Amino acid sequence: MNLGTRKLLDQSFTALGIGSIVIMGMMLLVVLVPILTNGISANVFKGTIEHRRMQYNEFHRGDRDALQREISEAAATRKTAYDMMSTFEAELNQMDEVKQAEYRDKYNQVKDAVKSLLGPKPGDELPELTRFRYGQTRWEKAQERLREVLYEKKWDYSNPDIAAKEYLVSRAESFQGTSLVKLFPYVETNIDRMLLPKWTIYWGFIFDSSIDSHIFGGIWPEIQGTMFLAIGAMLFAFPLGVIAAIYFTEYAREGFFNSLLRSANSTLAGVPSIVFGLFGLAFFINTLKVSESKSVIAGSLTLAIMILPTIIRSAEEAILAVPKTYREASLGLGSTKWNTIVTVILPAALPGILTGGVISLGRAAGETAPIIFTAAVSVGSAIGLADVFNSPTPALSWNIYNLASEHEAASEIRHVQYGMVLALVTIVLLLNLTAIILRARISKKLKG
Amino acid sequence: MGRLGKTIAVIGFGVLVAFGQAEAKNNIVIDGSTTVGPLAKSFAAYFTKKYNVAITVSESGSGNGAKSLINKTCDIASMSRSMKPQELVAAKSKGVNPVNNVAALDGLAIVVHPSNPVRSLTTAQIADIYKGKISNWRQVGGPNAPIVVIQRESNSGTQESFKELVVGKEVPVTKNAETQASNGAVKNRVSLTRGAIGFLGLGFTDASVKKIAVNGVMPNPVTVKNGTYPLSRPLFFVTNGQPTGSVKQFVELPKTAEGKRIITELGFVNKY
Repeated sequence: MNLGTRKLLDQSFTALGIGSIVIMGMMLLVVLVPILTNGISANVFKGTIEHRRMQYNEFHRGDRDALQREISEAAATRKTAYDMMSTFEAELNQMDEVKQAEYRDKYNQVKDAVKSLLGPKPGDELPELTRFRYGQTRWEKAQERLREVLYEKKWDYSNPDIAAKEYLVSRAESFQGTSLVKLFPYVETNIDRMLLPKWTIYWGFIFDSSIDSHIFGGIWPEIQGTMFLAIGAMLFAFPLGVIAAIYFTEYAREGFFNSLLRSANSTLAGVPSIVFGLFGLAFFINTLKVSESKSVIAGSLTLAIMILPTIIRSAEEAILAVPKTYREASLGLGSTKWNTIVTVILPAALPGILTGGVISLGRAAGETAPIIFTAAVSVGSAIGLADVFNSPTPALSWNIYNLASEHEAASEIRHVQYGMVLALVTIVLLLNLTAIILRARISKKLKG
Repeated sequence: MGRLGKTIAVIGFGVLVAFGQAEAKNNIVIDGSTTVGPLAKSFAAYFTKKYNVAITVSESGSGNGAKSLINKTCDIASMSRSMKPQELVAAKSKGVNPVNNVAALDGLAIVVHPSNPVRSLTTAQIADIYKGKISNWRQVGGPNAPIVVIQRESNSGTQESFKELVVGKEVPVTKNAETQASNGAVKNRVSLTRGAIGFLGLGFTDASVKKIAVNGVMPNPVTVKNGTYPLSRPLFFVTNGQPTGSVKQFVELPKTAEGKRIITELGFVNKY
């Protein structure tokens, strides 16, 4: 090969390398930017007076006098709107039957839309469910609701042979000629005085329990559950994994049995996580009865089995990477085998072992399938350390799935779902960061 | 370990101790239907607040709820159907005596995409759609578009009741049917697919999908309660034996004034 071709090949490989790094970076951005922006919007958003009212009533947070002032300020603006509605109600009762039937239905839609925007009308009976006790707590949601007050979405079914098209009807127009027509421009222009939006930083999203199945409040029980499960899995898997790795590298004789064990371990690493989940249910809960029903301990054990192969493999590699000379020197000085392993080999292999451990910890925190049947529930309160043996717990990974698919108001609380995703990603990132720092410090110490 | 290591250890210990404070002795475990889920969760929140009893709710499907109750891993199985004969046999062999406590009534709403001009179907037409005999909306007075049939997974009580009420217990659903794992997923799929038809609990319907009249009757609380809507069914809190103590208090919530209001606000229908 002449020099020119070699150079060309070399350059094109460099270009390929840079290209793939750029593509990878872009993919990462495409994934991370929405997670970050949407996730932060769960903590930082334009909160309305309803948010502050909810915070005060449910969590006893905020200044009572300032809140009272704000509430009366908003109530003054709202009163005009409510007055318009009662005027129309009186008018409605005076109408003849045909007209009443026509307007009654439309008016009920308006009433519901206003209720959803501003919360229950003062003087009305308070709903039993917390979600219906407040109006829109977030400004962007309030604006969506405002559109519902102003416009009615309709479908044109005039031609049954084709799929209908959607169109918007201004409600102001459909109430033309009645007293209610004034309501719509009034609400539209005064919406910010009725709701008093303010930039809000809501740290409680991380540290509060959820209220009314995640409609309000925060995600602390989920974060705590995730940490319990991951740390619990580590407590079981890490010592076991390291001991197994020592056996494989230091004690086991090469042979059929040993290679069988090793390939079994590698196969275990490739088993889908849902299989571990079902195994955990059948073995830990139904057979061993570690707990009466789903519990943190059953989930941790299941996760531990799932991450065990990875820990064994990484610990094995780390121990094998310790230079042979270390071992020879120690044994040459008259140390025993066990003493050599504990005082020389393990400390030298520690950075590698820890890295494997922490990566597995991240995986345990993020897995959903193993905990569906063994530990996770959709709602539950934050549990204490004494409850891990008999209580299940909500956990981030499972609740993200739950909010995405099963929750009855999934489209209303996307911000909570994103907030959970961000929390999970942050936890895993922090764990990995800890691994890197620990590794760096230990290697430095070993060198020095 | 160095200073950093010690700091981490101390923080870790502190966090664990802080978590270890609260302890709930008396708790109720609920497992089962995704349809009954909203009701169970709201009841749980109300009950915990009022009686200070910790309650956990899982939504994994009626079938799983039944299994949990039979294996004695839950106190209440929330189910959108009653137990099947083979489940009753399994329960008996394990010494479990399932008792149905009605939580609320629910209509199985048949939903289509809002752009679909079809307003009403008969149960026979719906059955034919799910058997695969009718595959185009034109055959039932709609536009010329293929029907995307959406069903629930085999674990679902909603699926069981739908088959029992409409298609027939032993009759297979068309192979082209798409399976979704929860009420929310069915609603989402139907709201995004023009030719889709699906079924879900009345409490889950909203403006993103269009409810269809069945045999000329629209599903709403009135028609479900008086039984004129043909696809009505009770939802159950199934317990092992006659409930006692706080479990009894819980399953009797639907009879209290507050319980009734919660049921109505969520879009379900009161039995009592």
